[in-house]
Amino acid sequence: MSVWNYVVTAHKPTNVTHSCVGNFTSPQELNLIVAKCTRIEIHLLTPQGLQPMLDVPIYGRIATLELFRPHGEAQDFLFIATERYKFCVLQWDAEISELVTRAMGDVSDRIGRPTDNGQIGIIDPDCRLIGLHLYDGLFKVIPFDNKGQLKEAFNIRLEELQVLDIKFLYGCSKPTIVVLYQDNKDARHVKTYEVALKDKDFVEGPWSQNNLDNGADLLIPVPPPLCGVLIIGEETIVYCSASTFKAIPTRPSITKAYGRVDADGSRYLLGDHAGLLQLLVITHEKEKVTGLKIELLGETSIASTISYLDNAFVYVGSSYGDSQLIKLNLQPDAKGSYVEVLERYVNLGPIVDFCVVDLERQGQGQVVTCSGAYKDGSLRIVRNGIGINEQASVELQGIKGMWSLRSYTDDPFDTFLVVSFISETRILAMNLEDELEETEIEGFCSQVETLFCHNAVYNQLVQVTANSVRLVNSTSRELRYEWKAPAGYSVNVATANATQVLLATGMGHLVYLEIGDGTVTEVKHAQMEYEISCLDINPIGENPNYSQLAVVGMWTDISVRIFSLPDLNLITKEHLGGEIIPRSVLLCAFEGITYLLCALGDGHLLNFLLDINTGELTDRKKVSLGTQPITLRTFSSKNTTHVFAASDRPTVIYSSNKKLLYSNVNLKEVSHMCPFNSAAFPDSLAIAKEGELTIGTIDDIQKLHIRSIPLGEHARRICHQEQTRTFAICSLKYNQSSAEESEMHFIRLLDDQTFEFISSYALDTFEYGLSILSCSFSDDSNVYYCVGTAYVLPEENEPSKGRILVFIVEDGKLLLIAEKETKGSVYSLNAFNGKLLAAINQKIQLYKWMLRDDGTRELQSECGHHGHILALYVQTRGDFIVVGDLMKSISLLIYKHEEGAIEERARDYNANWMSAVEILDDDIYLGAENNFNLFTVRKNSEGATDEERGRLEVVGEYHVGEFVNRFRHGSLVMRLPDSDVGQIPTVIFGTVNGVIGVIASLPHEQYLFLEKLQANLRKVIKGVGGLSHEQWRSFNNEKKTVDAKNFLDGDLIESFLDLSRSRMDEISKAMGASVEELCKRVEELTRLH
Amino acid sequence: MEGSSSLPSDSKPTAAGVSKYLTNLPSRGLFSSTVLSSNPGGMRVYVCDHNTLPPEDQLIKTNQTNILIRSLTLKKQRGDSSSKDAKSTAATEGSKKRAAEKALDGRSKRALTNTQISSRQEGSNSRAPVKDFQGLTVERLRALLKERGLSTRGKKDELIARLKGVVG
Repeated sequence: MSVWNYVVTAHKPTNVTHSCVGNFTSPQELNLIVAKCTRIEIHLLTPQGLQPMLDVPIYGRIATLELFRPHGEAQDFLFIATERYKFCVLQWDAEISELVTRAMGDVSDRIGRPTDNGQIGIIDPDCRLIGLHLYDGLFKVIPFDNKGQLKEAFNIRLEELQVLDIKFLYGCSKPTIVVLYQDNKDARHVKTYEVALKDKDFVEGPWSQNNLDNGADLLIPVPPPLCGVLIIGEETIVYCSASTFKAIPTRPSITKAYGRVDADGSRYLLGDHAGLLQLLVITHEKEKVTGLKIELLGETSIASTISYLDNAFVYVGSSYGDSQLIKLNLQPDAKGSYVEVLERYVNLGPIVDFCVVDLERQGQGQVVTCSGAYKDGSLRIVRNGIGINEQASVELQGIKGMWSLRSYTDDPFDTFLVVSFISETRILAMNLEDELEETEIEGFCSQVETLFCHNAVYNQLVQVTANSVRLVNSTSRELRYEWKAPAGYSVNVATANATQVLLATGMGHLVYLEIGDGTVTEVKHAQMEYEISCLDINPIGENPNYSQLAVVGMWTDISVRIFSLPDLNLITKEHLGGEIIPRSVLLCAFEGITYLLCALGDGHLLNFLLDINTGELTDRKKVSLGTQPITLRTFSSKNTTHVFAASDRPTVIYSSNKKLLYSNVNLKEVSHMCPFNSAAFPDSLAIAKEGELTIGTIDDIQKLHIRSIPLGEHARRICHQEQTRTFAICSLKYNQSSAEESEMHFIRLLDDQTFEFISSYALDTFEYGLSILSCSFSDDSNVYYCVGTAYVLPEENEPSKGRILVFIVEDGKLLLIAEKETKGSVYSLNAFNGKLLAAINQKIQLYKWMLRDDGTRELQSECGHHGHILALYVQTRGDFIVVGDLMKSISLLIYKHEEGAIEERARDYNANWMSAVEILDDDIYLGAENNFNLFTVRKNSEGATDEERGRLEVVGEYHVGEFVNRFRHGSLVMRLPDSDVGQIPTVIFGTVNGVIGVIASLPHEQYLFLEKLQANLRKVIKGVGGLSHEQWRSFNNEKKTVDAKNFLDGDLIESFLDLSRSRMDEISKAMGASVEELCKRVEELTRLH
Repeated sequence: MEGSSSLPSDSKPTAAGVSKYLTNLPSRGLFSSTVLSSNPGGMRVYVCDHNTLPPEDQLIKTNQTNILIRSLTLKKQRGDSSSKDAKSTAATEGSKKRAAEKALDGRSKRALTNTQISSRQEGSNSRAPVKDFQGLTVERLRALLKERGLSTRGKKDELIARLKGVVG
């Protein structure tokens, strides 16, 4: 890899941090706005449900999101503040369908200590001011003037230093805030202040309340007529106002999110840390609060935000699990829950660890992530390709072919599914109960194998068998005409469309028939010199019922030939070369371009551009899709035609921007496929797999396909073992059943196909699994799982004891072979020169795998290296060891074989708090740190002095805006050898927000080109809310902010393809390259993920 | 996994009670269809190619005056104006007006610390009959109307029209 890197998002953030509901896109429309850290999503609430409108990238990490309605406005404005102290006010302009910036600004202060408890941004209910609490001891006010315009901001000194929450009170003549804070004795109180805008100061508020619940953490202001505030604690809930004080005890819980149900604030939904949803009711007589009631409704994902939508529907946004759309039912279900989960929105965050594997051995990486936390922990299998959502399936052995038929010519839906076997044909049809059952078409011959079926004109069906072509009335199902093959010849292959039939009999006879009303006429006959292997007359010309071309694949000379119809004159003959015969040919048109696809018996696919008038074949390309013969079929999904290539590695061929693209399907070995668009299963496919017939719908083309394996516990480390076909994870399970919460840590073994737990090893009390590795040692052919642990004792700041456990998998069981006690927590384990390299607190330690006299094995310490604060992340390459330290950035160590010692070679002297490291190549190392930055450092072997050589030079810096937990080499896409991107090395990363990203090392020439393109795109694509892309991507931590270098933002570059033509022209002019050239180069990059 | 799917027994709600609280949930007719259409993914990604800078005066900055200094100057000014205010309550209508304007003067100076000379001039000119009411706050306009014994109701434009009716 190289220093010139391209960073692109393969899976967007899915961690929902904020949500709100209001009239944003129009005064009449109600919107749900969801923030996913660096993106906001705008949804429309409709009678039919949530309708997604827009996904908006924000150049910043969203710290607060609020909708508000300034005086005199008919619709709501959106206030967004980012973690890097920018804010903006957005308005939706429905006329131009654009987000307009009403105001923006920088709210940072030169001095000030950032708050520990997160940034707070609130808007006065009467829209007099925006309040921000960004630094301890300061409250920033951005006042509105009476026209709803913002004025110069100012700071007010806030006496309370440990602020937990601030909210505006409703119904106050002066804007009044209520502050929940902790004093220096750790007691919690609330206090109110009036904001005097003229004096730019606080005035002591109308009331205060001392000594609240020790876990009080959240304030909920109650709107008029009740006003006042709810203080949510861990054991009590208090309603407080100037005149009233009501409290109720609650079940111990930490409330993470709340959502107001009624406009008058008499009911609230509260979501707690265990995912339980409660209803809080304020009982009142007119304007006097008489009490509080709390009722448990049921369980959801652990909520980070709750938005009541309408009509008992609630959006639950989650950081730890899937976000949900739920309905509150009046009556409880069997389990006593009032919550009905209607929809789940996939969330991969937080990705704590992941591994890249190729489970199907297809040459395409899949990412298996440890996602979610607490009870919502799960494994997610993320792969590029198309998913089939199975809707029905039935066991059927030996399917030789499948076709769907309509019951009359203009029927929009298919009724029959003809399934052909070696010695019979069965017909399935949808019955009135929308079930697939066997039926009969009397006119069909069902005692023999069917070679082809099709709907023909005049409400007819055509069936081709070895002996005859049968024409059947599709409504009466009676035979109308039968064309018999000449005696002594049987039909080998056949194809048909609505008006034509083309078939081949033995000895190379090619027969062309035309279908009339109740007749089939033999129009032409031709004699080939060899046997015919496959043929196709799919109409791709202007007439959808009649093809002017026929394509035929031949045995012996391995060629494809194009004939004109109806006269069967040979137009083109193309030798395919090689010795593999064509097994399936298909004429098809994508985006107005006509192609000939020709699939060979060895899983290769050839494609040609076909000139429909001259029959000329040009632009031959060959790709490998699998290893078994391929059968090609067209199908449509969302009104676009695609081709399904059924084989051992089923693939969908489609076209984007007039280029053919290939995408895997998440199925194994499909022998036949046919579209089956029935009323009950619209837009579905019937798929014949090994011994099974499946009906399913197809996912969106080219999308990451995600499969969830809910664990009910929190997986923290994962590793795959090829030899035993297992995964091992370190996980922790929370027990909340007993009065006291406890957690248990396990090592679990999972089957890599079924993802079921097949074996578990419970760690000791207080023992955490911190690292896991599958490796083998020198002089030992076995493969082991090594696990590093730590004893996390409550009284210790840093663990002083841990273990390295060595397991072997035998008969699906984890067997402990050896264990070694360590003097600290084992943060990382690596296989290193046939030995085991462990990072233990401050130390890097190398262990040998020794055979004892009694035949057992043990780990024996060989050498080590001190001098880290905490060596958290370690990667190795050859004899080099790259260490990511807790706070001392990256250092490079080398293992010296002769001396048996590990020495430091070089280090980066910056104080970066690391979150992940990876080795890109011999000299370049990649790091991620806790201020959401990426950087690369380079080893300086040619330095003149020791000091120079001992310094890792920072060569690349970039703000990715994501907390990266892990880097892994690998790729999510199939690397086709004929594509240019096949050669570009990539690293995948996973983040807390559920982002899966790709870092690709580009050749220098391409990097420079794209850098120029990025600079030009910056001028055209503006940051929403006036936020600057350049600032957003600049490396930023407490110490410094510097422009990004040697990293490019792939998300920006790839949005080139979404620009209008005129904008593309603008950029093309500035770049001095044609739009086509730019599109081609950018599209190539999109195939990296 | 097993434990989490059922609710803890100790907090099992009384069915009737909860149902009572779940009645009459707010509804505006959305989500009313019996079949909810789900639409996963397929969301249009917003590409913003228009100018996103805010209107010039809406690029918000923070007042850089030190909080302590600001509060001291404010206190001083308040001290001045309040003492004058106290006097003016007893004084004639004219002096009352002057005091109020003085307060206004001070306020405008405060609001625009970046030495905007124009506002100063406006402040010092305010002794002459105020022509440009548009620049005044509604509060101030209401005060002027009250002095003139006029109705203080209505929108800003109406207030100005009413004032102009007297002055101009």
